[in-house]
Order: sequence, then structure tokens, then C-alpha cells
Amino acid sequence: MDFLADFTDWLSANLNYAELILPSLLKGTLMTIKVFLVTLIFSIPLGLPLALGSESRWWPIRWFCRFYVFIFRGTPLMLQLFFVYFILPIYTGLMIDAVTSAMITFVLNYAAYLSEIYRGGIKSIDRGQYEAAACLGLSRTQTICGIVLPQMIRVVLPAVGNEMITLVKDTSLVYALGVTELLKASRAAVNRDGNLMAYLLAAIIYLILTFALTKLQSYLEKRFSRHEQRSE
Amino acid sequence: MAALLELNNICKRFGNVQALNDVSLHVAKGETVAIIGPSGSGKSTLLRSVNYLEKITSGEIIINGRTLVTSPQGKPEYLPEKEIRRICSEIGMIFQHFNLFPHMTALANITYAPIKVKKQPADEATAEAKRLLEMVGLADKAERYPAQLSGGQKQRVAIARGLAMQPELMLFDEPTSALDPEITGEVLNVMKTLAEQRMTMLVVTHEMGFAREVADRVIFMADGSIIEQGSPRDIFDNPQSERLKNFLSSVIHN
Repeated sequence: MDFLADFTDWLSANLNYAELILPSLLKGTLMTIKVFLVTLIFSIPLGLPLALGSESRWWPIRWFCRFYVFIFRGTPLMLQLFFVYFILPIYTGLMIDAVTSAMITFVLNYAAYLSEIYRGGIKSIDRGQYEAAACLGLSRTQTICGIVLPQMIRVVLPAVGNEMITLVKDTSLVYALGVTELLKASRAAVNRDGNLMAYLLAAIIYLILTFALTKLQSYLEKRFSRHEQRSE
Repeated sequence: MAALLELNNICKRFGNVQALNDVSLHVAKGETVAIIGPSGSGKSTLLRSVNYLEKITSGEIIINGRTLVTSPQGKPEYLPEKEIRRICSEIGMIFQHFNLFPHMTALANITYAPIKVKKQPADEATAEAKRLLEMVGLADKAERYPAQLSGGQKQRVAIARGLAMQPELMLFDEPTSALDPEITGEVLNVMKTLAEQRMTMLVVTHEMGFAREVADRVIFMADGSIIEQGSPRDIFDNPQSERLKNFLSSVIHN
């Protein structure tokens, strides 16, 4: 009997504590989601011109896109955050607040990675598709938009989904600019109260976010491969 | 009869390999010409040169009176890209591997180019596509995706797709080579119907039966040159050159 009473006490104490710190963690989660969504919405389309540009027949465009990817893939994301937030204002006088600089950096960085994924997807499309399009008199734009991209989307979806799950966790890097998101909020609670519960809650929240993304990804994959099913 | 397609002195080099060596060929309107020959003889390259899938090294191509390319100084001078695209959209091309668009239904495969390129109204294009599907015997497969069709059905959809652009000329690049032998017939029958309707056709094929029965003229190519040409009877029953005799005996014995 004693044991059970002890356990109930312990549990209710922990639950009370969890309830106490949850609002600040959820506030942090909101920031995490905000950075995530902005990055997703802007980097996914931005990767496309970069991918097409990397294969452009016109060398200045090709050179620029490849150099861009080289820079953003070749340096740590954290360093890029510092550049945009601390170093850029010194030389340009352009003052951008921490959250906005973080979002800009994330968009630029993820666009570079996504463009490489897209490029792979575009390369995977059979040459015969281009030949058939050319024989039907389709213009370059019609071929890209009507034939290549719809097929590319299906090919790149798993890799893009993977990248977006990485992004959820990468958003924690914005703490380096003093922005309070989920991880920073939970660390504050742990340091203040000497109780590790906040980390456990943070882990659970991250898992919920990535689980939702995984579900969305598999829905989209099904949706975009309907035409591959062999029977009705 | 006026030539719909004129190929004059076509040469094509891939690096050090002379794929086509001074090939000249005229195809009259309404004529069905079959090109036969061993692999590597340049048949497909010749066909692909006609609609700009291969750029020739020198020579002249005239389609329906319009000069696609000419080589006054031994170097090819092509029309501007946009012009070429317009001319080529009036040439149907059928590939060995069909090259249907996998993300579109059979119907959408057929209507896409007429709507986008010819600016045909969608309902008109759809009605025409349905008529063509019926002609190739696939009226009930309009809403199927290519993955849900057999090889022979895919190739028939591809033929309908080519016809939807109302081409003056149809090119066939080994249309039955990727098919199981027992289903080549359904594709060849469609081609036979087209020939009977006096569609101008240039057909690269390994189907000697088709060349013999359907073609008005048979061209035998080897090593990038036309070795012999004539009526099916001349070519199959009375071959002149050693090369053709050897080729025919090897094909027949297989």
C-alpha cells in the first residue's frame, strides 16, 4: 500500500511540474514551428530555379548557381547564422532582427540542399521523355513544367521529406542568436529547476512534430504515385 | 509524285564513327518506306536526323517544301530552333520504348500537345483523342495510366498521340522491337491501317513480314549507306548485293 501511495505522489508531483513548465515549452514550440514553416514555404520553391540554373546552358547562370550551392553546403549552418546576424550589419549597415535573420539564413541554406535533390530528380528522368516532348513540338518551358517537374516531384519526395525532418531539428540552432525556441526554453527550465523533465517533454514534442511530417510525407508519396499502380 | 521528304547527301559522324555516309532518300506523299539492315547500320540515326533528334554533320533535309537544314559550305545550317520545332511537330515519331508520359492517362498523353502546341480547344482535342483511341482499338483504356497498359497497348497509345498532331509524316523507330512476339501483331495492324489510308510513313523495322507486305518500297542499309532499294519483291525475292543476301539469310534462319 505504501509503495502505491508513494508512486501516486511521485507521479502527481511530476505531472504538476510538467504542467507548470509546459506553457513556456509550447511558446518555444511555436517559434520552432514558425521558423520551420517559413523555411519550408520559401526554400522548397527557391530550390527549383537553383536546380535548373545549375544545368543552364548559359554559363554565368550555371556558374552562379553552382557557386551558391558550394558556399551554402560547404559551411556550417551556424556560421551562416552568425554571418547574416552579426557580420552583415557591420559591413552593410543593414540591421535585421534575430528571428528574421535566422529565417533568411535557413531559407538560403535549405534551398541549396533542396536544389541538389531536385537536380538529381531531374537527371533521373529518361532521355526518351525529352525526345517525345521535342517531337510533339513542346517548348522548353512546356517540357519542364508539364513533363519533367511532375515526374521529378515523385522522385524527390522521400529525400525532401527527409530534409524537412532534419529541418525541424536544425531550427534549434537559432538559440545561437538568442531566439527562444523549444530547445532553449527547455534548457532554461532544466537550468532553473535542476529537473530534467523539460528535456523529456522537448523530446516528445519534437517526436510529435516529426511524426506529423512523416504522415504528411507518406500521404504525398501515395498521392503522387497513383499513376504507378498497376490496376485501378 | 512530289516528294514529301527529301534527304540529300546526309552525313553524320559520332566522333570517329561515320554513322551515315552520303545518304540520299526521297519519300513521296502517301508512300510507306521500310528501312531494314543489320544493327549499327545507321537506320535509326537516319530516322532521328529527320526530326532533329540527331544533328547531321552535313547534307540537306527538306520536309514538305521547307528546308530544315542545308549545307552550302559543307557545314549544316539549320533553321532557327522555333521554326524547327514547328516543322517537327508535324512529324509523328514512334519510339521503340514508347516514351509515353507516365504521369498522364492515355487520353491526357494524346491531348497534351494538341492543346499546348496547336492551341486546340480542350473539348475538341478530347473528342479527337477518343476517336484516335477507338481507331487503335483502345477506346476503353482512355483513363488508364501507361503503367496499367501492356506494351502493345502503350505503343498503340503512342501512335494515337503522334496522329493527334495531324502529322504529314510518321516516323517509326523499331516500333515492335521492345514487344513480345505474340503482341507485335496488334501494333503492326494499326500501322497497316495507316498505310492503307495513305499516311506517309518511314519505318525502321526488323519485321520482315511487315516490310514485305505493307511497304511500297524497302531500303536496305549497311555501314551507314543505302546498299540496295526497291519494291519488297525486288528486295526479298531478288536481292542483288552479297550484303543483302547475307542479311536476309541470317534474318530468315533466325
